[in-house]
Amino acid sequence: QITCNLPHKDCASNNCVPSELFAARSRSHKIPVRGQKDFFPNDSDEQRQRLEQSLNEHWSLTSEERVERLGNLVKAVWIPSDQIVELQSPAGKFWQTMGFSANGKQYLLPEEALYLMECGNVQVFYRDLPLSIQDGYERFLSSATVTLQQYQVFGHLKRLGYVVHRFDPSSEPSSYARQLNLPQSRDRAGRQLKRKRSPSPTYTKRLNSFCFFCSYTEAQVESTIEKMEEDKCSLEGDDAKKLAASPDIQTATTSGADEGRSWWMTDDLGASDKELHHSPTSGSSRWDFSSIPFPDVGSSERHPSCLAPPEPSLLPGDLTVGVCDIASWRRKINLRMVKMSSKEQKREKDTRRRRWDVNKDREVRRCRNWAEYHELLARRQRKRKGRPAHLWNREVTPLHDPKQPISTGELLDKISVIKSTHLLEGASRLKGSEQWRICFNVYQPDTVADFKKSNPGKPYSRMCVCSFDGPVPDLRAIKLLAFQSGDIPVVFAVVDHGDISFYTFKDFQLPTDVFP
Amino acid sequence: MQAEFRAPRRRTRVQEEYEAPLPVSLRPEERSLFRAELINQHVLVRDLEQIQKIHNQGFFGKGVLSRARPDHSISDQWEEHEGLFLPLVSQARYEELLRWAGATLSAQGLDEEAVNQTLLQLSQPIGTEDLRGEGQMMNGQEGPGPEDGASPCTERAWPEGGASPCTERAGPEGGASPCTERANPNPDSDSFSDSDSEPGPGPGSGSGSLVPGPGFVLVVSDSEAAVQIREVRRTPLSLSEYLQLSLEEAFFLVYGLGCLSVHMHQEPLSIVQLWRKFRSLHPDFVSSYAAYHHFRSRGWVPKEGGGAKYGVNLMLYRKGPPFYHASYSVVIERADDAFEGSALHPFSWRSLAALSRITANVSKELMLCYVVYPTDQSEAELDSPECLSRLKVQEVIVGRWVSSRERAEQDDI
Repeated sequence: QITCNLPHKDCASNNCVPSELFAARSRSHKIPVRGQKDFFPNDSDEQRQRLEQSLNEHWSLTSEERVERLGNLVKAVWIPSDQIVELQSPAGKFWQTMGFSANGKQYLLPEEALYLMECGNVQVFYRDLPLSIQDGYERFLSSATVTLQQYQVFGHLKRLGYVVHRFDPSSEPSSYARQLNLPQSRDRAGRQLKRKRSPSPTYTKRLNSFCFFCSYTEAQVESTIEKMEEDKCSLEGDDAKKLAASPDIQTATTSGADEGRSWWMTDDLGASDKELHHSPTSGSSRWDFSSIPFPDVGSSERHPSCLAPPEPSLLPGDLTVGVCDIASWRRKINLRMVKMSSKEQKREKDTRRRRWDVNKDREVRRCRNWAEYHELLARRQRKRKGRPAHLWNREVTPLHDPKQPISTGELLDKISVIKSTHLLEGASRLKGSEQWRICFNVYQPDTVADFKKSNPGKPYSRMCVCSFDGPVPDLRAIKLLAFQSGDIPVVFAVVDHGDISFYTFKDFQLPTDVFP
Repeated sequence: MQAEFRAPRRRTRVQEEYEAPLPVSLRPEERSLFRAELINQHVLVRDLEQIQKIHNQGFFGKGVLSRARPDHSISDQWEEHEGLFLPLVSQARYEELLRWAGATLSAQGLDEEAVNQTLLQLSQPIGTEDLRGEGQMMNGQEGPGPEDGASPCTERAWPEGGASPCTERAGPEGGASPCTERANPNPDSDSFSDSDSEPGPGPGSGSGSLVPGPGFVLVVSDSEAAVQIREVRRTPLSLSEYLQLSLEEAFFLVYGLGCLSVHMHQEPLSIVQLWRKFRSLHPDFVSSYAAYHHFRSRGWVPKEGGGAKYGVNLMLYRKGPPFYHASYSVVIERADDAFEGSALHPFSWRSLAALSRITANVSKELMLCYVVYPTDQSEAELDSPECLSRLKVQEVIVGRWVSSRERAEQDDI
């Protein structure tokens, strides 16, 4: 991107000769086309000519004075004491996504003002003189506002259509507030104008007479949240008390159940409440279970294939049960199904086929009698079953004994001695860093049509700007920024003399793969 | 925010059959105890059957003479000849092998006359009937012979790409060695016996032809005539290939699965001894092993060798290299309890950008694997593999975001 360091000409105050103006307006606005690249210098005239022409085109483009219609330019004033730009004529279309209102006036942040100056939408005055682009760069960008590199990222994203706002960590809701999905109101005014008054960077907790906003000030939102969090704690306390009291509730319900199901009592159904209350909760039935025969369907003794119906007195109310044919059930019990996969079946076939002749074994042939043969077998058995002493008889043993059959999934679990962690673990105790900070919230260009500054919603991502010559974030920085950002991904914008690349460092847990 | 998991890409042509995820048998009666030697800071497995198992069930290790799996053969072409399946070698190549055998013998101090005699006897053509008699006995063990010391060779070149000269001579020799013990043309049946006297069917017995073992080749005469004479001869030099395991792979098989024993100077090493030995060989062994163990316990196959190709420590495969393309390129880093630490690979934005580009160009994802150490872990604790249970692993995916492309609402970063 070429930045133009020359002042705008607006035709009222500067002398603008009509011919100049005509020339400016009728100039071709096409960007010079670049042809095919030449990869080597070949000292030919043709090449030299082409290079010259290309250079001339670029030079004339950059040296062009940009002309704007006076009426299109919004006028504004730079207020260095507040590091803010105040609009003096009504804002244009850019107001939908940029700027903020306070004290009944419209303001722009310095980076926004500079960007609009470069676009040719705004003219900023200081002490009654219009500022040039160069002035803008010099005055508006600083470590107190936005650095040059941060501004380069800001401009890059804005030119692509994104909405870019400054990130304020103190206005990010706590995790509890996020859980409740509280509407977040943006108090862009408060931040800027309060800054002059309060020496500390966190100003949300202070009430400030300059802060006239909607019904919620940030302080109020904070205090409401605090109150709710307290309530939550006390609620949990109440629950605990309730749990302690539950045995009483339990007994109440069981007695209620007793009331409902009393048909197995040999007493009259019209038993009085008095009697029920007196009956203890345990062992209140009047049956003699030792005399009631329960059929044992699974026993191997000879049993008739039919079960006789139970005593009618054992059954509730109008229920009648006939004879039960259990022949089919008895056939199904005490059976074990052996299902072999096709591999196992193949293996069975192979082992049956490949029966080797034991006489071919040399060691067997060396055995002169049965005793020696048994010795050979025993020796081999021992060698096979033994756990090697150097692995198992020491202070550290293997995690798994290969003699034990185990499924793959279980084996993987068994050997998982190293735990996995995630970015947010331990991140809350990390102290902030000067070097790694989130600067901007970025919203997608598609959202511009419905964008509301007072309620922008969740950003698409958050930007951390760093220099290409600087260090790469270590794990600490990644965790810190992930924690500050919550569930919005953090993107690192790496600036290399105006060229910007974006990188992400995302949390990941490799899924377990068990095959088969 | 979490990185999205992208499904691994399957290779278009898969020629291998999947045997098992790990070389630990699910049926206990099968033997799962392997043996490796620690020689010259390398862990080598020599037995062919064990090599096959260890490599095919989990893709551990690399054949020293091959690109990946150990599949070195004296010739790429094999042919059937009178009922035998033999590697094909041209006359010129055969003579070259003979010359090498001669050179080795001379270097061992044999005088020229003895060398010529030996070579003459070696290069006698073999009758296929003699071979067929032996065919039954082969069970495919590569290597010139048993541990009976029949070969008088004193100089052995270890098959490590020819790089390091030999130093050890204990145990059965591998590598190039002339088959001097087979000077007599009738192969002694005993010399083909092996320590594993578990008889099994010869390889290839299912098919019609027999594979008589590695000591034989089929030599084709370089005549211009249409019909080329083929003769069976002895292999002058036999090259046996071993499986080389990285230190992490070896330790995982020993400690994680309990199925491998590592011997040094014929002595088996205990787990702690092995741990300390490996730590002395690689200063960052704890970190690299922790990452390896972590990925294995997730069921993925981590392979080394990404360094020369992709600039990273490990490549992660699902199931194994023959089945899927590698999904992740992993760089291992260490961090302490405050999540800072001296980086094992200090990155600049330039080097990170380069690595990120390379990784994207080969359609993989760049993963930083941080091994987090607790601050109160003493050096003594680190001297035992039990320190692993206190370590944690943090995986971070590095990605690039292109500002101009992703502007639609539905795209996530």
